[in-house]
Amino acid sequence: MQAVRDGDLGGLAILFERHHRPLFNYFVHVNGNRELSEDLVQDVFFRMLKYRKSYQPDRSFTAWMYQIARNAHVDSIGKRKFEVALGEREFSSGNKMDENLKRKQEITILKRAMSLLPLEKRELLVLSRYQNLKYEEIASILGCDVGAVKVRVYRAVRALGQIYFELAGEKAS
Amino acid sequence: MNCEEARTQFVDYWRGTLEDPAGEFLAHLDSCERCHAEAQELRDLWGTLGALPEEDPSLDMRVRFYDSLRAWRQREGERRKGLWWVRHPVFQATAAAAILVIGIATGYFFRGRDTSEVSQLRGEVYNMRQLVALSLLQQQNASDRLRGVNYAYRVEQSDPQVLSALLTTLDHDSNVNVRLAAVDAVRNFTDSPIGRKGLVQALAKQDSPLVQISILDQIVELREKSAVPAIQFLLSGPAVNPDVRQRAQWALKQLQ
Repeated sequence: MQAVRDGDLGGLAILFERHHRPLFNYFVHVNGNRELSEDLVQDVFFRMLKYRKSYQPDRSFTAWMYQIARNAHVDSIGKRKFEVALGEREFSSGNKMDENLKRKQEITILKRAMSLLPLEKRELLVLSRYQNLKYEEIASILGCDVGAVKVRVYRAVRALGQIYFELAGEKAS
Repeated sequence: MNCEEARTQFVDYWRGTLEDPAGEFLAHLDSCERCHAEAQELRDLWGTLGALPEEDPSLDMRVRFYDSLRAWRQREGERRKGLWWVRHPVFQATAAAAILVIGIATGYFFRGRDTSEVSQLRGEVYNMRQLVALSLLQQQNASDRLRGVNYAYRVEQSDPQVLSALLTTLDHDSNVNVRLAAVDAVRNFTDSPIGRKGLVQALAKQDSPLVQISILDQIVELREKSAVPAIQFLLSGPAVNPDVRQRAQWALKQLQ
């Protein structure tokens, strides 16, 4: 990123190759819309170009990238005015019937539960669990300390658990 | 460790990053059924959350990104080309010269107004100083009158009102220090004949040896020959201070 900041625009292609997939997954898990997520990934990389002078080399690049991603997502909500319901979409992981049917069911319920979580909790779980970011990086993105991140992640998991077990109970009955 | 503290460690426990050298957290889980149940139940959920399948973006996304990047670079290149003349030394020198000319012209244009405004302000400040000096010289308190004498240095030497006030102070002020300060202040006005004459006349009216010596010194410094009769009159007095007498004789020698 430092090279990009210093004017090497070709460096952006390397960053794209390295980060576009996790970034796309971040958006998909947060907003549930593949098309919109692709647009947002594009948007993030061009925001990086536009604001490249604001990048500080002593700060984690991942944290900086996700901060831009959060802003891009917030702006997109403002433009769309409504959110696409996560539970309604079909995942490419497929409809194939296999022997691990129970696991697949769990995942389907979990996705539905995620879609019902408030945005900030959903985002926190995606960053901490799915993207596996360090506490320090999440703290830097959210502008709080590491202790607060741990507590917030715990609360988000508990909230997810409440919804998940409720949905699983409905399904079982 | 209580339940609340233990819950802040849950995420580390699930992530496998728990630091619990004294075993306090695990001991709490063993002893607290509720925390134990919650930790285990949510731990499974945490595991499932990590197993969410990863999505692949479409190939089209990569194509679009590289197209946009190419377009961006092209735009940047054109923008830089379009502005090449800004970085050209001839343009920069011309711009600097133009700014200089505009600056000088603006200064010239506003000069007249500024001068009149400044002189008006200067006049007001001068009047204020004169007023302060005159009013302080009339105060009951000796230290206020001393300040008045000092203020007299700040007015123009040709100001007759302030000179007149200073000479009055020199002749009649009851305080020796104020009169001494007035002798020094009058030195500023000795370009005017009134100032010189006032100084010579003041000599006869003084009873303090300090003030007399100070005036004598100044007369010598000014080479004021018209003061000779006044000095002789001082020497003819009945009870002249020996120091004053000595100084007056020295002054007479200097002036002759």
